[in-house]
Formats: sequence, C-alpha cells, structure tokens
Amino acid sequence: MRRVIHKLFFIWQLEKEQAWINEMARHGYSLEHAGRLSFVFEETDPGKYTYKSLFLKGSSYSEANLKFFRFLEEMGIKVVCTINYPGTCWVYTRGLTSDFPDGIEIYSDIDSRINNLKVTIGYMIFVIMLTLLSGLFNLWIALAPGRAFLPVNFTCAMLCLALSVAAIIATVRFVIQLSKLKKERKIHE
Amino acid sequence: MPQLALTEAVFYILLSLQKPLHGYGIIQNVEELSHGRVKLAAGTLYGALNSLVEKGWIDALPENPESRKKEYVITSSGLNALKDELARLSELVDNGKRLLEGN
Repeated sequence: MRRVIHKLFFIWQLEKEQAWINEMARHGYSLEHAGRLSFVFEETDPGKYTYKSLFLKGSSYSEANLKFFRFLEEMGIKVVCTINYPGTCWVYTRGLTSDFPDGIEIYSDIDSRINNLKVTIGYMIFVIMLTLLSGLFNLWIALAPGRAFLPVNFTCAMLCLALSVAAIIATVRFVIQLSKLKKERKIHE
Repeated sequence: MPQLALTEAVFYILLSLQKPLHGYGIIQNVEELSHGRVKLAAGTLYGALNSLVEKGWIDALPENPESRKKEYVITSSGLNALKDELARLSELVDNGKRLLEGN
C-alpha cells in the first residue's frame, strides 16, 4: 500500500530526515520517492531496508555522479531518488538491512568526510546569502521612508531572516564538526 | 621528494589488487585481510579507486558485459609504490620495537 506524507525538512536537517525515514522503514514503510515537501512510501517488511541520505556536489544527472551511483549499486546501495539544488544534489540511498546491519556508511575515511562537509558548508553559505539578502531587501521595501508600511513584505522579511538565522546556527555546527575532523586528521588518517 | 605515506585504505586496496577484483570484492578482501578491522565504505573506495587509476597505480579492466561490474588490477608502478610503503612501514616497526622493547 502506498502512503504519501507531506513533511518539511530544511536542507541542514539531513540527519533528522534520515532518522525519520529509517524509523518509517522499521515500521514497514520504505521510501520510494521524495520531493521537496512530500515523501512516498510503500508498505514492505518492517526493517527490510536501511536508508542513507547524502549531499553531493553537482547535479544528479552529471556524468561524475551517475558513475558514482552506478558504483554504489554495485556495492548493493540503490539510489532511490535525488533532488537537485543549484550546484548540488540531495541523494536518498538504501540497502538491505541484512547487508548493512550497522547502517550504510558512504565514507569511512576522514578526508572524504571533510570533503563532504565542505560541500555542505559551501551550499549553506549560499542559502544564508540568499535568505539574508531576500530578508533585508523585503525589510527595506516594507519600511522605506516616505511610503506606507507594507505588512506582506515585512512578514516575508521576518521569515527570510528567521531562516537565515537557523541556517547560520546549522552552519556553525557544521564548521565545528569540520574543525574537529581537521584536528583529528593531523593525528589519525 | 620521498614518497608520502599511503593511507591504510590505499595500502590495502593495492594489496588486494594483485589479482583483478571489482569493488565489492575489494571491500570483502580488505575486511578479511585486516580480520574485520578495516571496513571500507563505498564512497571512500570509489574516491580511492579513481585517484589510483589517475595516478597509474591500478588499471580498470574492460567491463564484463555479463556482470557489468568493473574490475581493477595493480600496475607495475602501483606494485613499486606498495613495496616502498612496505619498506617505510618496516622501518617504523623496527624503530618502534627497538626503542620500546630495548635493543
């Protein structure tokens, strides 16, 4: 049986979203497709699949990423679906829990984790700039002297600025993670 | 310039590729060689294989149309790099033993 759930996860909530998808899989609902606001699940055996989401540089249609997806499939990791964002893509993968009893790990070395975090941070900076500029622009329109107050622009500005603050907090967390990994890299591989 | 240390993943990949293997075979072989200690993740292996092909230390063999799995094998320069690394590791072990366990 097919079940569609509408739910919003922000770009920096990759781990939270992944935990939720895996929880659904444990309850017998395996993810078949994901959109920006909707998730399509099919009823399957509880715990049959384990999911891993990842953030990659470039479009999911780029030759480099298509080759990578093919390689993952050879390893028993299927790409369920992808969502493209400017310059990056969000990839949902899954494998049989029997093949990956401890969950799927895409990167086992520190260097790859550092590179992957850098991609995420790069995109987060883009999101911060976009939301911050939109917020400030709308605020300027709403509160421009000599004009009537514009509540729609003011609300839009507040929303954008709130998103921007949330994105900044998330980015700081990613930067702290990156810094810890870099310190670790100086001692261990 | 002296050869830089190889990562553990690269060392075990080169060691595994003395016979042609595909990605999953490499992961299994590395796990077996290290008695389950080193578990290569797919993304890490993919990055390492691409870098090693680019460096000329391994070759990607023509694809088998039946399995559609790409196999890799070590080249002579890869074998030299592996031997150099083994010499470097031996030096580490010898020095470690000499200084920790006494002469």
